[in-house]
Amino acid sequence: MRAAWIVYRKEIVEILRDRRTLMAIGLSALATPIVLTVISQVSTQTATQAYTVGYSGQVPAGLDILLTSTGLKLKAVDDPAAAAKQQVDLGVAFQATEIDEYYDPARQSAQIADTRLQTVLGQYNAAKAAAALQQQGIDPGILTPLKVVGHPLSSPVKAAENSFLSFFLPYILITMILTGGFSAALDSTAGERERRTLESLLMTPAPRSRVLLGKIGAVTTISLTAAVAAIGSMFVALSQISLPGGGGSSPHITLNAVAVPVMVWVALLLAVGFSSLTLALGTLARNFRQGQAYVTPLYFVTILPASIILFIPDFNPSLAYYLIPVLNAVLVLRDAIVRDTVAWPALIVTTISLATLGGLSWLATLRLFTREALLTRS
Amino acid sequence: MTEAAVTVDRLRKTLGKNEVLRGISFEAGKGEIFGLLGPNGAGKTTTLRTICTLLSPDDGTINVLGFDTRAAPQEVRRRVGVVTAEIGVYPRLSARENITYFARLSEVADDDVRRQVDEVIDRLDMSSFARQRAESLSSGQKQKVAIARAIVHDPPVLMFDEPTSNLDVLASKEIRDFMVESKGRGKCVIFSTHVLHDAERLCDRVTIIHKGQVVGSGTPAAVRGSRRDLEDAFLELVEA
Repeated sequence: MRAAWIVYRKEIVEILRDRRTLMAIGLSALATPIVLTVISQVSTQTATQAYTVGYSGQVPAGLDILLTSTGLKLKAVDDPAAAAKQQVDLGVAFQATEIDEYYDPARQSAQIADTRLQTVLGQYNAAKAAAALQQQGIDPGILTPLKVVGHPLSSPVKAAENSFLSFFLPYILITMILTGGFSAALDSTAGERERRTLESLLMTPAPRSRVLLGKIGAVTTISLTAAVAAIGSMFVALSQISLPGGGGSSPHITLNAVAVPVMVWVALLLAVGFSSLTLALGTLARNFRQGQAYVTPLYFVTILPASIILFIPDFNPSLAYYLIPVLNAVLVLRDAIVRDTVAWPALIVTTISLATLGGLSWLATLRLFTREALLTRS
Repeated sequence: MTEAAVTVDRLRKTLGKNEVLRGISFEAGKGEIFGLLGPNGAGKTTTLRTICTLLSPDDGTINVLGFDTRAAPQEVRRRVGVVTAEIGVYPRLSARENITYFARLSEVADDDVRRQVDEVIDRLDMSSFARQRAESLSSGQKQKVAIARAIVHDPPVLMFDEPTSNLDVLASKEIRDFMVESKGRGKCVIFSTHVLHDAERLCDRVTIIHKGQVVGSGTPAAVRGSRRDLEDAFLELVEA
């Protein structure tokens, strides 16, 4: 193992002197807070923004006050339908017994204004109906014969936070582990061949399996460092900003105690697997540029499983799905974050799957490393 | 000839569809400079790569100081140092760090690494740039780093593959002087080159290979025979 340690130390020193890798780690630490800040500002702006309602006819008494208090500005127009196309966010024609509403569903501002209008009109109609019943001596309670009393089993704010984390955290973790080690893996393989140092390295008595082990160790370390930098900065950012769904009442999003060890374990497995895989692809390449072409598709392959939680939040797959690398990591992390429990069978299947991926990649890289073609191809 | 350090016997090697070596045999002795001569593509580099175990023979055997390259490749690598024309060094490591890395990988004991690295730095007159990053070194300085890393574990067999092809006159002379000095220390020096003038001046014995076969062998004087110089003899042999 001495040779593996010698290679590991040398690779780490070289990587730490490589601007490309340092920039990748620095950017991963900076990018997450920037993205979260932008999301926060946009959501805050959307929540407080006033929208214009172009109207014609007589506004029912009291409705104007309700509309203004919910951020809907009234503006008299001649033709509400025409105005709703560009001039205002929503067009409304008040008539004696009905209201005609005009809006363009393709405009997000129209959708938000419509939701607000429907809410206000619902409250206005209910209040009017209750007042009319009261005038006739009838209890307004008959309008709601079945009252719903909610008893949330967990904090709705916490649930919203977990929902956000269950998508964002696996996404950040997986992409940063993968991209954080890209440059180091390519530099350590294709770069070594391009610089013509590979031949000298393979002429030493050090067994090639140990040389490879040292390289995998170094790339894994850098991948994990990039992921820790990104996730650390994410939680720092989350402690400073509020996000949509959090209701603004809980400015501090935290990870539950179950999710932390699961995240560390999954991150370690992913880092070893990705390191072996990118080193294998880098070994196939004749130079750094060719290596980049080989590893870039990996990014897209990993993004798809990471996005599944966004599109299907309640995706509850059978145990067989946990055999699919990367998807299993996303699902296991989601389970730990949202449900606050460890699903042991799923975690065991995930571990076997990711360890197999890492092992097979390691064997493939070792095979490439011991082939004569490694030298004669160049 | 002195006692054989490297024995190559009927070596054959095919790379892809190209039969590069077609039954090459020669012996290089301790304390001599042995020239492996031939035009570009003759198979000189493939021969050296096979001796140092980077490639495996398809047929035939290679023995280095009693160790067969197939049966004991690690033992062979412990006893061989190779300098090539392609002076690849780790650019973000200093010259000293480059040499130290190879010393450790070549199994120099931890207690001896510093002393042996210092020794080669002094021997090759590298003190002025030893702490400089390799990316800032000149070609001649990088070649010295390449030599230093090849000899830092003090191997008994040294192989030089076209070591002066990318160097200026002064740097080339230093390499030649180094080979002569190594011979004086009892090392077996195998010098692969197509520069026949260098070979004639330096080598105790030479083997000329052409299209993967040995076409001439012996001392430079014996190979030259009655011709004006080794170049004439070489041209006659490869055109025959």
